[in-house]
Amino acid sequence: MTTTALKPGRPSAVTARDLARATATRQQRGARFKLWAGAVCTALVVLPVALASLLPLPDPDGQDLSRRRLPPLSADHLLGTDQLGRDLLSRILHGGQVSLTVGVLAVAVSGLIGIVAGSAAGFFGGWADAVVSRFLEAQLALPLLMMLLLVVALFGPSVTVITVVIACAQWPEVARLTRSLVLVEREKPYVAAARVLGLRGRQVLARHVIPNVVRPAGLVVLLLLAQAVLLESALSYLGAGPQRPFATWGRIISDGQAYITTSWWLVTLPGLVIALLVVGVNLIGDGLRDRTRRRKGA
Amino acid sequence: MTPTPQRALPESERLGRRTLLRGCALGAAGIALGPLSACAGPTGAPGPGTLTLGLNRSLVSLDNKLNQFDAAVTVQRAVRQALTRIGPGMRPEPILADRFEMTGPTAWTVRLRDGVRYSDGSPVTIEDVTTALEMYSKVNGSFLLGLFPELPAVEPVDERTFLLRTERPVPVLDRLMANIHITPAAANKPEELQSGVGSGPYRVVRADSGAGEYTLARNTRYWGPRPHLDTVRVRFVPEESSRVIALRSGELDVIDTITPDSAEQLTGLPGVTVQKTSGVRICQLFYNFRKGRGHPLADARVRHALTYAVDGESLVRDVLTDSAEQARGVVPLAIEGAVRTGSYTYDPRRAKSLLKSLGATDLRVRIIWESGEFAGDASVMEAVAGMLQDIGVRVRLQQFQPGGDILKWRQGRAGDWDVIGNGYPGTTGQALTSLQGMYGGTAEKERTRDTYMGYVVPRVQRQLSAAATEADARERDRQLAAVQHAIWDTWPSLWAFAPKTLLARRDRVHDLNLLRLNAYDLSTVRLEG
Amino acid sequence: MAAYLARRIGQSLLTVFLTLTTVFLLVRLAPGDPAAAYAPPTASSADLQRIRAQFGLDGPLITQYGIFLRDLFTGDLGTSYSFRAPAFDVVMDRMPYTITLAVSAIAVTTVIAVPLGVWMARRADTKRELGANVLTIAGQSMPDFWTGVMLLTVFAVLVPVLPASGFTSWSGLVLPTVTVAILQLALVSRLVRREMTVALAAPYTTVARSRGVSERALAWRYGLRNSAVPLLTALGTRFAALLNGVVVVEVVFGWPGVGSLVVRALATRDYPLIQATVVVTATLAILVQLIVDLAYPLLDPRVRLGKAA
Repeated sequence: MTTTALKPGRPSAVTARDLARATATRQQRGARFKLWAGAVCTALVVLPVALASLLPLPDPDGQDLSRRRLPPLSADHLLGTDQLGRDLLSRILHGGQVSLTVGVLAVAVSGLIGIVAGSAAGFFGGWADAVVSRFLEAQLALPLLMMLLLVVALFGPSVTVITVVIACAQWPEVARLTRSLVLVEREKPYVAAARVLGLRGRQVLARHVIPNVVRPAGLVVLLLLAQAVLLESALSYLGAGPQRPFATWGRIISDGQAYITTSWWLVTLPGLVIALLVVGVNLIGDGLRDRTRRRKGA
Repeated sequence: MTPTPQRALPESERLGRRTLLRGCALGAAGIALGPLSACAGPTGAPGPGTLTLGLNRSLVSLDNKLNQFDAAVTVQRAVRQALTRIGPGMRPEPILADRFEMTGPTAWTVRLRDGVRYSDGSPVTIEDVTTALEMYSKVNGSFLLGLFPELPAVEPVDERTFLLRTERPVPVLDRLMANIHITPAAANKPEELQSGVGSGPYRVVRADSGAGEYTLARNTRYWGPRPHLDTVRVRFVPEESSRVIALRSGELDVIDTITPDSAEQLTGLPGVTVQKTSGVRICQLFYNFRKGRGHPLADARVRHALTYAVDGESLVRDVLTDSAEQARGVVPLAIEGAVRTGSYTYDPRRAKSLLKSLGATDLRVRIIWESGEFAGDASVMEAVAGMLQDIGVRVRLQQFQPGGDILKWRQGRAGDWDVIGNGYPGTTGQALTSLQGMYGGTAEKERTRDTYMGYVVPRVQRQLSAAATEADARERDRQLAAVQHAIWDTWPSLWAFAPKTLLARRDRVHDLNLLRLNAYDLSTVRLEG
Repeated sequence: MAAYLARRIGQSLLTVFLTLTTVFLLVRLAPGDPAAAYAPPTASSADLQRIRAQFGLDGPLITQYGIFLRDLFTGDLGTSYSFRAPAFDVVMDRMPYTITLAVSAIAVTTVIAVPLGVWMARRADTKRELGANVLTIAGQSMPDFWTGVMLLTVFAVLVPVLPASGFTSWSGLVLPTVTVAILQLALVSRLVRREMTVALAAPYTTVARSRGVSERALAWRYGLRNSAVPLLTALGTRFAALLNGVVVVEVVFGWPGVGSLVVRALATRDYPLIQATVVVTATLAILVQLIVDLAYPLLDPRVRLGKAA
């Protein structure tokens, strides 16, 4: 930031080496590293998943009982086959489409609910705050996964239901953060100014306050994406995933667990893919957070 | 706590905080570890005289009034015994009785074995039998009762002999009585007994029904030959892969009812033996018999044609890893009275052409089943779906979670389906009971949806009830064989198989005689070394 | 103080009650029939109806709710269908296992994450710190069921040194604890690092440094002590979350705690047991939260209750 503005021939005791060693530079380097590494990890997973239908892959549900549980690097099957002779790579990539769709949609929904509820609670206070806070507290106290399993049982395990369920599980994080941000914003002079100008509370909130808190709240939303993917796979693992024969990451792992002593790849590889994606998203989120924090401090 | 005195000594304040912290830590540790230290030993390895069983279902009690599954029977019978048991070859054997004979059309003469005693030394009396029957009849929600056409009445003859009388002939009473466990009359209650003594070779030393863990020790007063084991530990290990791992490492000695996949992984491992025996359960991909008249699946020829699409051999070999047999009859051939009626053939081209000639093109099939209905269920279903798709049938799979709504679906109250994956137990080991349960549906029963998937074929039902009341054994067998052929010709299942009963044990376990009913007698089991 | 406490407890009770009502409705609206879970495939409709009547499930929902409330206020959470024992007792039988796992996981997390956080703060913004940071993030990013299965594969299959399932000896605690701890490391170490960085830059640290206090002593005595409050809060919250959040790990390792009990209760639609679990875990979680809040002023004399909260 400040360093980039420096001209080379500037007369100063601070050498380029000092600058390179400065905390700010190192922090920036760290953040950049995280962003890059995160982007690479994420892309490594997201791109093939997005292009799964275009890649020359066998049908994810096409089975061949005579070629069951082939190890990775077998002919025609880069990552081997599963217990019914289906191509594991193809199943992981197609399964990823389900997981990613659910993740992205869930995060969008939870972000929306969270920002609306959180800013309403923070801005209006009073009973709005009381209601939202009670909900937040209740959700903290609830055995989350159990509630999710119940709701999925209630409405049937479709992609829509699972998306909504995960969104409901995640909105408190966004809401809590938004609420605290809005509490700070509310006291700032521009809000008072807007009021003086005759804007009503709702308008002030929508036009002036929310735009100011969306950015930091958005960061949390990104981190929630990682969580959403994890939650979806945990639900699938516990049996509450979309109907068979669709592959989902959690289900590939739970099915593969039966072969753990003989076919390591059935569990290991899909898990690695999940981990890679989630690490990637978390690193990006972390990097962005490091950056904003410093900018704020500056 | 808030009004801390303004000039309080900092030392005492600090002390307060520290004490609080320490107190918290100690308290937490105490709460957490206190109750556990009692149940956890220093090591998990079983001792030389201790047999450790790993069940995949939790044994809630050692009584069978409400709680019965195969592995439970093994453990329950080690503690409490019945007058008879179903022994090798599916034949009834006397246990607490030394005589159990039909001495009239509606009367059986039973004599208690001389000198049978409970583990507390008290003798087994006729009154205990009377009370047991009474308690089983009073218990709420019992399904053992459903097996009995009627409960017999006890008429004592002398000190040890008594008559079991029924209103109408019950030719399988000696088999049914194997389910009535005998407990001292004074301690028996019309509910699941959580404690108490039995006459079996082992007695309960410790029971934790919540965790499903039990410790049994040798009953030193056992009336029969001295049991070989000092201690039997029963553990509940829900995750199948964990059971396999624990058996490999020697943490468990016996795991029962294992899946074909586990059997495949364990076969050939040093120190482990996999035991197999033909099973009495039949697993079917049963058609929905509640289809309207015009529906293709209401036509037996269409049902037949579809069976050609299923490559049963490959399913048995590759998916069930040879631990099942394709059905060649409508009940497993391992049970008494079963006959061969035909077999499933794989010929997808024929399936296609037959369907075309029957005008049943563009078929859509929805297959439903509950997770865990049989071992390898999901793989079998996915494989069958693939096979049907290969002949151009569109398939939708719908898997239900345990506890879900499959019952409503099965009764045709929730949604439309075409094929259901279902397992039917052969609890009595007799073909007749299974046949009546599955194919004895009547229009009247269908009104309460109590038929098996809507199977109502009056001709079959008439033949079955004729066979059930036939007094002459040979004529009964002839009629039973005829009805099985008649049922086969209605093509009730898309495919069916009889899973073998599988069990894996460490090699140090000897003389474990696995019965077809998927139970074994713990009193004969020995440990070596 | 008393008023604050009363309000907090009142709110918490309300929360538990609302939660319980939600669960009551959810389990009954969800498809599935407890009777079917206990009857054999051969049971008739009449059998099922009898079982339902026995469980008290044959009345209308509102009647069931009334009975439920009445029992609740007399402290009765019903009888578990599958255990045929008071549901509350069944849950409390399993609670020690879950608490053991939670305590040991928190303990392991603290023992590793706090020194790690201190180390990271002292080497802030170096490559090594970045490496440690990325590693903990990786730990946090692995699905817990997968980590569990992987640990099982290594330590129970390839090198069979630890038991695979259940709690028969203390060694059975190792794998589940590690699995849970791996998830928590990132959160706690990052928190310690942040607080430490602030503390190490504070004027009193500079004063101490100028007086010749060693860097190590600075970090541990001045930095860590000042990050104790947020650390304890975070650990308390994590602990509360663990009490109802170790479902997956318990399932993977066959740990006989509340988490695996819940999965089983759901699978058999054991309504009273589900409700009892929710009451117990929710109450515990809220209680822990309350204790953490109340402990604030004791730990940090600067905090006064009633205002901050």
